[in-house]
Amino acid sequence: MPINYQKGILNEHLQVRESAGLFDVSHMGQILISINEKNTISLSKFIPLDFDKINFNRCYYSFLLNNDGGIIDDLIISKIKYQQKDFFYIVYNASRKKNDEEIFINNLNDYILLTNNSLLAIQGPNSEKIINFINESKNLFFMQTNTSNFLNKEIIISRTGYTGEDGFEISVPNDVSNQFIEILLENSLIKLCGLGARDSLRIEAGLSLYGNELNEKITPIEASLTWSLHKSRLNDESLNGNKILFNQLNGEIKNLKVGLKSISRTMLRSNTKIYNIDKNQIGYISSGTFSPILGSSIGIGYINKSEINNKIYILIRNNWEELSIVSLPFIQNRYKRGG
Amino acid sequence: MSEKKYSKDHEWIEIDNDIATIGITNHAQESLGDIVFVELPTIGKQVSSNEEVCVIESVKAASDIYTPIDGEIIEVNEKLNDNGALVNEDPENTAWIFKLKIKDPSQFNDLMSLTQYQEFLKTENK
Repeated sequence: MPINYQKGILNEHLQVRESAGLFDVSHMGQILISINEKNTISLSKFIPLDFDKINFNRCYYSFLLNNDGGIIDDLIISKIKYQQKDFFYIVYNASRKKNDEEIFINNLNDYILLTNNSLLAIQGPNSEKIINFINESKNLFFMQTNTSNFLNKEIIISRTGYTGEDGFEISVPNDVSNQFIEILLENSLIKLCGLGARDSLRIEAGLSLYGNELNEKITPIEASLTWSLHKSRLNDESLNGNKILFNQLNGEIKNLKVGLKSISRTMLRSNTKIYNIDKNQIGYISSGTFSPILGSSIGIGYINKSEINNKIYILIRNNWEELSIVSLPFIQNRYKRGG
Repeated sequence: MSEKKYSKDHEWIEIDNDIATIGITNHAQESLGDIVFVELPTIGKQVSSNEEVCVIESVKAASDIYTPIDGEIIEVNEKLNDNGALVNEDPENTAWIFKLKIKDPSQFNDLMSLTQYQEFLKTENK
């Protein structure tokens, strides 16, 4: 996927907010894992979900955790019936394929790396109109999934995405993915969009990206993603880093993930240090972009909790620029919840 | 009678007597992508050739803009204050960035003609 197609990042960004965009996210990892005792026990070691409570045709946002509770990767896991068999289906980050697949290969039996499937994300308020040629799409709500058929091939369709909009992510075998894309693009409501818009959309939606907000030294609790943890697992010693997570949940966290907004016309960029009024570093910007919806530069960052009500600054080209701290997300999400 | 030349840093410069008007080329705006802010230089500042004079921020990156020639900044394009995107729309005309009162017109001769610049782009893209 390119950074952008012909019309540019901002145009593609607005295309998604106003109608729909198609992102070819086939670079992401996809795996089907047979549901058996060994695999469930192995996954439970890394993933902070209660596997007894995972329902068929539901999608869960979660993580692979290291021994310190740090995030090896963030992912979406769902439970599906595919070719008459029960599977966990995991979609994981392209940038973490090597690490994730090492874990899968060393800990699981009976799995299929879906290297011959494309992954297409349709995002935006018109998504459901565009995908209505797939019947199963009509019965899905946000974070639900199902299988369907396209040209006699089994596909996996999930009402998920990473833009804050309603939308679908569809895993399509490569030998029919071109036909699938052609049908989508026949509809004038949808346009191809690239990585640049994908990034600015997810920042506006307040969503974390691996390598920016998330890494092996940050736990889901430190990343303000506590909501995604199944809390019962924090008492379970078989979960990597459970004690650290338990203590964080019941104690104090040093840094907070915050939304940041430029007051002047400064562009926020990742890896920029954030200072307090005494010019001591108190945090950093983890992601930055320009929001065409808000008409200003926005970002996500981590700052020391004790500074949350104080003025904060960045040093840009020898000028101290004040930033405002705002709550995430920058724009309200428009998921189709229900069911 | 004005004449237009190009720098290796992808600025264009047009000279009319001792006044030079400077902006970025169409190729430069295409590579930068969506431009969101232009931080204009300060009027009255003396600048020397190849010195960074101002900054263009696009969604992708911040880029320094250099002056191809020595002089004093006498005017900046205030329109860009509210509308950085004008540089994407009309980079080589209404979206000029700053004007210089030049000292040494001979510096102009070291810059590229349009044909030379087009040749330069071909080699640079290889």
